[in-house]
Amino acid sequence: MQQLNFEPVLTSDKETALREHVRSFLAEHGDFPAANVIDSWSVCDPAFSKLLAEQGWIGMTWPTEYGGGGRSYLERYVVIEELLAAGAPVGAHWVADRQSGPLLLRFGTEAQRQYFLPKVTQGECFFAIGMSEPNSGSDLASIKTRAERVDGGWIVNGSKIWTSWAHVCHYMITLCRTAEPSDNRHAGLSQLIVDLHAEGITIRPIITLAGEAHFNEIFFDNVFVPDEHVAGKVDEGWSQVMAELAFERSGPERFLSSYKLLEESISVLGKMALKQESMATIGKFVARLMVLRQMSLSVASQLQDGKLPVNEASVVKDLGTSFEQELPEAMRLILSTEPRANAKEGIERLLSDTILKAPSFSLRGGTREILRGIIARGLGLR
Amino acid sequence: MNELSHLIEDSATKLFESFSESDGIEKMESGVFPEALWADFIADGWLRTLLSEENEGAGLGLAGGCLLMRLAGYYAVPLPVVESLLAIYLLAEAGLPITDRLYSPAIIETALPETGEIRLNGIPWARHAAGLVVICSVAGETQLVLVKRDDYEISEGCNMAGEPRDDVVITSDKLQNKAELVGISVEDINSWLALGRAAQIAGAMRSVLERTVEYANERAQFGRQIGKFQAVQQQLAVQAELTSASICAVDSAIAHLGTEQEWELIACAKVTTSESAGIAAKTAHAVHAAIGFTQEYPLQLSTRRLWSWRDEQGNEAEWSARLGAYCMNLEADSLWCWLAKQTA
Repeated sequence: MQQLNFEPVLTSDKETALREHVRSFLAEHGDFPAANVIDSWSVCDPAFSKLLAEQGWIGMTWPTEYGGGGRSYLERYVVIEELLAAGAPVGAHWVADRQSGPLLLRFGTEAQRQYFLPKVTQGECFFAIGMSEPNSGSDLASIKTRAERVDGGWIVNGSKIWTSWAHVCHYMITLCRTAEPSDNRHAGLSQLIVDLHAEGITIRPIITLAGEAHFNEIFFDNVFVPDEHVAGKVDEGWSQVMAELAFERSGPERFLSSYKLLEESISVLGKMALKQESMATIGKFVARLMVLRQMSLSVASQLQDGKLPVNEASVVKDLGTSFEQELPEAMRLILSTEPRANAKEGIERLLSDTILKAPSFSLRGGTREILRGIIARGLGLR
Repeated sequence: MNELSHLIEDSATKLFESFSESDGIEKMESGVFPEALWADFIADGWLRTLLSEENEGAGLGLAGGCLLMRLAGYYAVPLPVVESLLAIYLLAEAGLPITDRLYSPAIIETALPETGEIRLNGIPWARHAAGLVVICSVAGETQLVLVKRDDYEISEGCNMAGEPRDDVVITSDKLQNKAELVGISVEDINSWLALGRAAQIAGAMRSVLERTVEYANERAQFGRQIGKFQAVQQQLAVQAELTSASICAVDSAIAHLGTEQEWELIACAKVTTSESAGIAAKTAHAVHAAIGFTQEYPLQLSTRRLWSWRDEQGNEAEWSARLGAYCMNLEADSLWCWLAKQTA
């Protein structure tokens, strides 16, 4: 049984100064409409991303030679946490910053790093995730999208689904089958950097139950991808995807999607005479958030040390998304109000947004059951 | 802190493992103080963990003490580790003479009576103690009175793990020799005791998790180990999550001792551990099924402690209500600033 490690980490004066800097930036640019503050990392605003790029807050941890900030994971943690807590619309560059860039740094070619990373850090190049398919959700190894070898590259056929902001993004790191399925289901998969404006690509929006249009289905009809756009090694995409997930699962976005609802609830409840039980409900959620912050920061520090804490990341995501999802369920019982989907602002709007968006919190990036399976493997049960 | 914690863990582990092989727990549960264990505990110097070197202490402070308390929780040590360490520390802080004897802290929340008697319920290990370190607040000052064993009456009680929790009666004339505790509030002492209990819970949760995973990997039904069933795996994963959250919460509180965030991190630790303790015990018993329900099988040594400790020194409802009230009193929009400060 592997011990899960969440040794507490404290940030230094350097990070505190950076935090203050983000706050003054937000004081100037941070008047976000109530309709966008819940799950704000799913809100796409390229102009805002450009502002963040000017501050050096995209690709912060990447080496300066690729346009990155050369800063630590703790510094990045502080910046993204401040942005998320303020409800900032960070969706446009989120995937590129969180996982596509780190993937290219880890597995990409020198030419790919030099070509893509500076564009990303300038807020001019956004990436989408290309994993799920219509018949492959949690069972990612069962994907059917194929890339066939041709002279100078690959021809891709198939489709991807649930791709946020594919219609805005420039590229998608697409997991494809490059060899016939064998006994080892995880073999023969590769990641290709697909230009979303290439010939043969069709992008079709899918509207969520909350009425948002960030999801898409993407069809590949004989799309040519040049050899130089293979990310990492051919047929070894699976282990690369697993490494990507350590970055994807542990960040503060996994417990701050509904943070504004907590903040606003406390503000509204502060004006009411509160029962002891309501006080306790607030205290319980605050305590959970306190621990989640510490756990996530601890994982950030381990990433900084070059470790890949995949099991710990799964713990943060499962506990974090449970927190995000249970928060509206608890607040609605003590707020004595009804959710209003069309309200311009106020607690009624935040409640409505959180309830309508919450189902996705524990689905994206690996479902609860998948995460618990990973944790069980770490415990030595599988 | 890291090297120190390894040092504490290595040497205390040896001692506590030897305790596990003794009949200490049975002795304690039958009302007999485990003298031999206590003598070993004293001989190794653990009683003075919190004391400074001038008091012949280890100088490890409360942070070091909490690591020992967590380990004591892991091994279900049948000694008043939390109580004795804190009581002797308070005696030293009050400038009273120190001896290697068992004292237990007792806090009086109400005003001190001028005459008559005062009743204190559920005082840990009072029957076996050489005396009680009674703490009260008088006109804003924290006062300490050492009440010797002959000077209080007890009616014996115990928690669900069989640990002594006695009701005590002290007559007011025995509360005259007050010493002042400078720079320590009653609230501080309450929260340190809560942190000690939280540390014990975190340790016991780790033990329960390890035992349960081991059992799930051994016990076979339907032709395979029960740990191979997804339904079981998913429950154990949650138990592991809550266990690591509890350990992290306690570690964070330890890291914040002596800072201005001390109280809130301790509140968080007690809420987290007390809330998780019951869920961990429930899952462990579900996975173990009938064998776990027996006295013979050692799971109960930890789960009975979890069920007891989660309510002692304030349960999750009480601490979360205090924490909630604290947050409601923060200036508008400053919840986030307050949270962020906790990791700086």
